[in-house]
Amino acid sequence: MLRVVVADDSRVMRQIVVRTLRQAGYDWDITEAADGAEAFAIARAEQPDLVLSDWNMPNMTGIELLRALRAAGDDVPFGFVTSEGSDEMREQADVAGALFLVAKPFTAESFREVIEPVLA
Amino acid sequence: MSALTAFDGTQVSAIAEEVFAALIDGEPGHLYLTAPTSPSDLVDPLYAWVDMHADVSGRVLLSVDTGTAHELARALLRMGAEEPVEDEDLVDAFGEVANVVGGNLKALLPVQGTLTLPRVSATPPSDEGTTLVDRIPLAWRGRSFDISIWQL
Repeated sequence: MLRVVVADDSRVMRQIVVRTLRQAGYDWDITEAADGAEAFAIARAEQPDLVLSDWNMPNMTGIELLRALRAAGDDVPFGFVTSEGSDEMREQADVAGALFLVAKPFTAESFREVIEPVLA
Repeated sequence: MSALTAFDGTQVSAIAEEVFAALIDGEPGHLYLTAPTSPSDLVDPLYAWVDMHADVSGRVLLSVDTGTAHELARALLRMGAEEPVEDEDLVDAFGEVANVVGGNLKALLPVQGTLTLPRVSATPPSDEGTTLVDRIPLAWRGRSFDISIWQL
């Protein structure tokens, strides 16, 4: 079973992400993180198979989290799930090494479209 | 002309309708444009807002009755109609709706910038030094759901 970290400062949104992943057919072992700093610690300690992260979070933002992981030599597959899906942010995410950016609001199909290529 | 005037009511409504259809209702049609009302008509108001700062600064403010915010939280969390909503979940859920609507609107701006974390309060943010750009009167399941755009 894949081990996945879901990072979002909103507990409600984490629940919605997890629920939607299950609707999409992904019955994963999910660990939740309330901000980027917590996600960083979990990712470094547990070496998950995938990190799904919000962008705008207190303590450490999603893009700071991704850059910190890469700076630490950690190449864990990483995707954003964020309300801000502008072209500029997609480019920033891509340059920093993210595999995809899913914009909120999302559906189960939105997740399948970006996750299936990662699993292939 | 402010970049914020690029947000016409139809666009704001369309974004809000998409957010509700995908995250809250699971289907379209439950959030719709309605006749203008005044936020002062709210009996027990609750406000949620995010600010965006780029070449211009703006605010997206949601105004509802607290009962509506409770219903929103129940819908987001797939709770039963009579289940009590904890204050923490109420603030989290309503703030997240503001965050998603605001984030999608910010993505339309020609110059990006930053989006604040959402704030939720029974008191509206100060309007000192702000200008109302647009007010979009919506209804969700028959309840007033007001979105206003402010220039800061």
